[in-house]
Amino acid sequence: MTAAGPYVYGIVACDHPMPAELRGVGTPQTALELLPVGATSAVISAAPVPLRARRRDLLAHQEALLTLALDGPVLPMRFGMVAPDADAVREQLESGHERNLRALDRLAGRVEMNVKALPATGALAALVAEEPRIRELREDVRRRPAYEANVRLGEAVVQALARRAADAAQEVQPELAALAVACSTGPHVDGTTLNMSFLVARRDIVAFRAAVDRQSARYRDRVELRAAGPLPCYSFAEPEGATAAAARAGG
Amino acid sequence: MTSERTYLTMATTTTYSSSEVVYVPRAGTLYDTLELILDRGMVIDVFVRVSLVGIEILKIDARIVVASVDTYLKFAEACNRLDLEATSRSTTIPEMFSGTAAKSLGKRKVKKTIESVGEKLRDVVGGSEEGDEEQEDEGPETRPRRRTTKALSEKPRRKRESER
Repeated sequence: MTAAGPYVYGIVACDHPMPAELRGVGTPQTALELLPVGATSAVISAAPVPLRARRRDLLAHQEALLTLALDGPVLPMRFGMVAPDADAVREQLESGHERNLRALDRLAGRVEMNVKALPATGALAALVAEEPRIRELREDVRRRPAYEANVRLGEAVVQALARRAADAAQEVQPELAALAVACSTGPHVDGTTLNMSFLVARRDIVAFRAAVDRQSARYRDRVELRAAGPLPCYSFAEPEGATAAAARAGG
Repeated sequence: MTSERTYLTMATTTTYSSSEVVYVPRAGTLYDTLELILDRGMVIDVFVRVSLVGIEILKIDARIVVASVDTYLKFAEACNRLDLEATSRSTTIPEMFSGTAAKSLGKRKVKKTIESVGEKLRDVVGGSEEGDEEQEDEGPETRPRRRTTKALSEKPRRKRESER
């Protein structure tokens, strides 16, 4: 079932506790181990063969990182990182030692909260009421029902929904950023007008959620907000555009 | 095995279930964080990365659903069915909407379109040979998935309640 080099979940401080019952990717789920290098440790397990982005493995990766994060900061790896062998992991941790320590320090006591803004597809009545152009097109369709006119109306609705959501998201963003230590724009997700992650102190999670609630209620006719978290700090593991490659070149 | 499950449940609870954000239908599910797990986090160049071919296909499918003529027609229909007489009194106070029947009808159509994206995602991510049956038995892992489907159908009702 398992071969190839270790699957790497993330990097923790060398004194980070490892819950014995913690399991990782693979079927059956693999046991996690620590691979200490200097003041840091890599969290690894055997890598399943073949390794694919299956739902249960993605969840196992995330759950392991979340559980670890309860006991201290974790630099989460992207899903699916498999090292050639344990020595390669040691080399990486040695060359990135100082940088990793700084990153761990920065993430201590903090979590990632992700907020996505989507068009408020459930608020069509508000859209029709507030958008004269949509009302015109709607009247056209009602006077002369036709395929073309319907497509025009529908397209205008989709565009107006997107515009209203984008406008509202711009208002929401600074309100949430005020409660965060850092912000990071997430990858584009189809159907969303904004995908943003916030680095938030654990003690501020409740306040952050309350702020999302307030903004959601305030702009409910224009945007649908979806919050997820606390999450592993995926978006804040590598600050200032520093990459592992750059660290290797420097060290 | 039992202790492991307890542990996972605990982590899940700490993470998601305590959320008060009721308007978020799928908070904390894989669906909402997939792109972060796959596109963010530390990368080490010399390490091998799992193939994500199926996931890329998903993204393209989603785009087609969002901006197709079919979607336009569904929105147009939902829009045409709105009872503006009933709603015109409250152009700035959405809580007072009384045309909920017409509104939720349109909403359901739209939700269906959106749901089809979610179905596709589950197919791609969950559609491995181990199948879903095995996952259904595992409790904590399946919970977000169930919630996904349920939350979608529940949402219009929930919203109406809050609008009363």
